[in-house]
Formats: sequence, C-alpha cells, structure tokens
Amino acid sequence: MRLQLGYVPLCDAAPLIVAHEFGFARAEGLDLDLSAEPSWATLRDRLALGHLDGAHMLAPLALASRFALSGPPSDLIVPLQLSRDGNAITLSHGLWAEMEPAGTTLDAIARAFARVAQVRREAGRPLTLGTVHPFSCHTYQLRLFAEAGGLDPSAFRTVVVPPQHSVEALARNLVDGFCAGAPWNAVAAAAGHGHVAVLGSLLAPDAPEKVLAVSERLDGALPPLIRAVARAGRWCADPDNRTELVHRLIRRNYLDLDATLVGAAFAQDASAETTAGVHLRFGAAIQEPDLRCGRWILRQMRLSQQIAAPDVQDAGVATVFRPDLYRHATTDL
Amino acid sequence: MTETNLTVAVIDPSRARAAILEEGLRAAGVGRVVVLPDTADLTERVTALKPDVVVIHLESPSRDILEQMSGVSRQVERPVAMFVDRSDTTMMQAAVDAGISAYVVDGLRAERIKSILDIAILRFNAFARLQRELSEARGELADRKLIERAKGILMSLKGLSEDEAYKQLRRKAMNEKRKIADIARAIVTTADLLG
Repeated sequence: MRLQLGYVPLCDAAPLIVAHEFGFARAEGLDLDLSAEPSWATLRDRLALGHLDGAHMLAPLALASRFALSGPPSDLIVPLQLSRDGNAITLSHGLWAEMEPAGTTLDAIARAFARVAQVRREAGRPLTLGTVHPFSCHTYQLRLFAEAGGLDPSAFRTVVVPPQHSVEALARNLVDGFCAGAPWNAVAAAAGHGHVAVLGSLLAPDAPEKVLAVSERLDGALPPLIRAVARAGRWCADPDNRTELVHRLIRRNYLDLDATLVGAAFAQDASAETTAGVHLRFGAAIQEPDLRCGRWILRQMRLSQQIAAPDVQDAGVATVFRPDLYRHATTDL
Repeated sequence: MTETNLTVAVIDPSRARAAILEEGLRAAGVGRVVVLPDTADLTERVTALKPDVVVIHLESPSRDILEQMSGVSRQVERPVAMFVDRSDTTMMQAAVDAGISAYVVDGLRAERIKSILDIAILRFNAFARLQRELSEARGELADRKLIERAKGILMSLKGLSEDEAYKQLRRKAMNEKRKIADIARAIVTTADLLG
C-alpha cells in the first residue's frame, strides 16, 4: 500500500524518514512517499484536504486543525507521539549581553530577560521574539519564559520566523531571539548570531512536541503505519544508531545541513554552556499519545488567549489523541 | 468586477507567477495590487501595506508568518484570517490544487474574496499549464538532438545514409518496445564511453 506523508525538514521528523529509509515501512507492506512541506500551514491544509494521508505535525496544530481553530475542516487523529522536547530559545548576542544574567539557572536567565524586556517596552521599543506557528509548543514556551521571570507576556511582540529565515532575522535584528526546534538553534549559534539561552524542557518538561497526525479515513493502513513509525522511532532513540541517523538526515533531500549541527540535537552533553535540560527525545517511552498532554495543550491555548474557555472541552481531546490505536497496533512489538 | 478600493498583496516564491496574477487582478479592476518579496521582514511589509487580501502561494515558507498575524494572536492591530469557506469545499480543493491560499482582513465579505480567488485559480492554473508545455517542448527538443547525434554516429560507423540510420533506430525501438529517443541515448552514451 502506498501512503503520502508530509513533514517539515527538522530533526524530529526523523522517525518518518527512518521508517522510509531503513525498511521499517517496507517490512509492514507499506510504500511511503515523503514530501517536505514548505510551511506548517501548507502541511495542515494538504492533510485536511486529503492530499496527504498523514504527517509529522506540531501537536497543538493537530488539535487546532481538528477543532476548526486553524485551516480547513479536518478529521485528524493522533495515533502516535513522534517526539518530546527538543526546542530551545536562542537570543541575539546583543540582548544576551544586555541581560547579564546573575547565574545559569532558568530563574536567573528569565529574570534578566524580563528586566530588559520591561525597559524596552517602557522605551517604546518592545523586544520581538520569533515562534514557528501560533499553534505550537514554541509559542507556549515563549510565554512560559516570560512568566518564569515575572513578566507579562504582552511586554514583547511575537512573530513567526520560518526556520530557514531564523539566522537572517537575527543577523538583521528583525528579531531579538526565537524559539525553535533542532537544528535551528545550533545553526544560529554556529553562524555567530545567537546564544542558546534556555532549553524548552526547562519551561515545559516532557512537552508533546511532534505527533503523527493522520486522517481518520486511513483505516486498514493505520496499524502497519503505526508499527513502522513506532519501530523507526525506537531505532532513532538508540544511541548506537546516532551516526547513521545523522548522516541520513543531512542528505540533500532531507535537512541538507552540516552533520555537526544536526548531530548537536542528539548529543545530550553538547553545548555545555548554560543550556541544561533535556534534548530531543524519541522512542518507546514517549510514543503512546497521552491525554494529559492533550489537556495541557488546551490549557496553554486558553492561557495564550487562542481559545476561550468553553470553545473546546477537555473531553474533545480523546477524539483526537488515540492511545487505544497505538496500544492495539504495537502489542507485539 | 470593479474593486477599485481594494488592496491585494501577492506573495509567491516564483516572480513570474506573481507577475501573471498581478496582471490578472489589475485587468479585473482591483485598485491596488502589490507583489511582496518572500523575505524575513514580511511582517513589517504587510503591516505597512495594510492590504485587504493577501494571496500567497502554498509553496511560500512565509505562510506561517500570516497565520501569526491572524486573530489567534494578540498584539495585532488589523487581524487577518485564512479564507476558509466551509460551505464550499470544491472551491477550497480547487484553490489548494492551484497552489493558493488567501488571507483576508476581518470583515471583508465572502463574495468579494471569492472573485479574487477565482482569478487567482485561473491564472495559477494557466501558469502551471504553460510551464508543463514548456518543459515538454524542451524535452522534445532534447530528444530530437539526441536522435540527430545517434544518426550521425550510425552513419559514420556503419556507412549508412541518414535515412537508413533513422530506419535502423526506429526498427530497434519497435522491436524493444522503447522510444526512439531511448535507443538514441543508449547509442550516444556508448559512443561517449568508447570514443
């Protein structure tokens, strides 16, 4: 059976790429056509309209699509969690120098940021920070970063910076920092334009970063797809496979970036400066869709004023996040 | 359609395609059509232009920038929303097939945006057709050149006339159920290797 799957070229798309490249899909009788999508909005629309059978998707965007908060009507369900954690906030060298945090803890960094953000707001030149899409853990992590320093999140502007623009946006001072997933923080730091200030895992531990989102109509193809991607994700989690994984991801048709930059996403002890915390995680321990994560996302949507309290009830999460489908398909793995 | 008081912004990684849409919208009487470059400072440009409608190609990475400027985010003066007509999924499909998404400033009536979308769909489909024809024409030209070279090789190696060389190529292609250009390519490649 042939399936059309979309992804955005990021390190956490690895389980889909590996399912295709290392034979996990073939072993389940599936042929995957992977297509790199230029934006989350386009990926969401193509999935909602049936051009794609499934995709690597921001967990909050999957819920937003199904709940008619974003894009065309969709029948998306989430039968597997692809990754957790992996985001970071990178700040420009100028801002970092101005902050002079008193220490390397989250508290010290967030307070130093809050102080500068407050000064800049009062001067009528508010700071601008980048996220990747309104419905993303990145958006919520920026808000949590502000709150960790006791800052009202409306003290700075939030804009979207498409990953491929992130280095240029920092270099031209269009933004003072951004929250992004791997490898974009490492890319900005290596280009000499930013300092990786805080890992997302400190702001929102175990954040449900990317999910496998599929159409409810997928039916018979779904169990083999879940198994193929689950096995691929477990393969990605094995440190013994790291070198092979990085070399496959950096190919021109996938991330098309330097091996060191992509590899940094998987090295727990890399960039030892101030960036303590958990990096990108794959594997059996994180793959079952978790209803608590879905409810956490809804709470973040409310706190970020993306939805009003009665818009979407917590019970709606169970129609999208489907641990039952995951368990049923993976009992014998 | 006379929409002389409307401002439409067009964002497209392909400048040629953007120009074709720009021309189409102007011809339909849209008052102000501005093509914006697909660059990192798009937020500032859109904010400064204050368009009523933004037509953006699905290939553009900047789509997510517009989503942030929509009503789901705070701090936006004139929120825009992706145009989704839930009562007309055919229209939605046609737009996505043609590569279009449109963002409208709150309050613009559905029938006004629809006429703009219709033009965009027609223009983008016409552009795709032109591109397809162009690439087919290029392919045919390349095939003809290959066949000419293969004929030349056969003529000099086997002392054939041009007509006989072509007949041999055609017979081989028919026997192997392949295209003449494929046989020609094999001959040219072999000659390159051995020559």
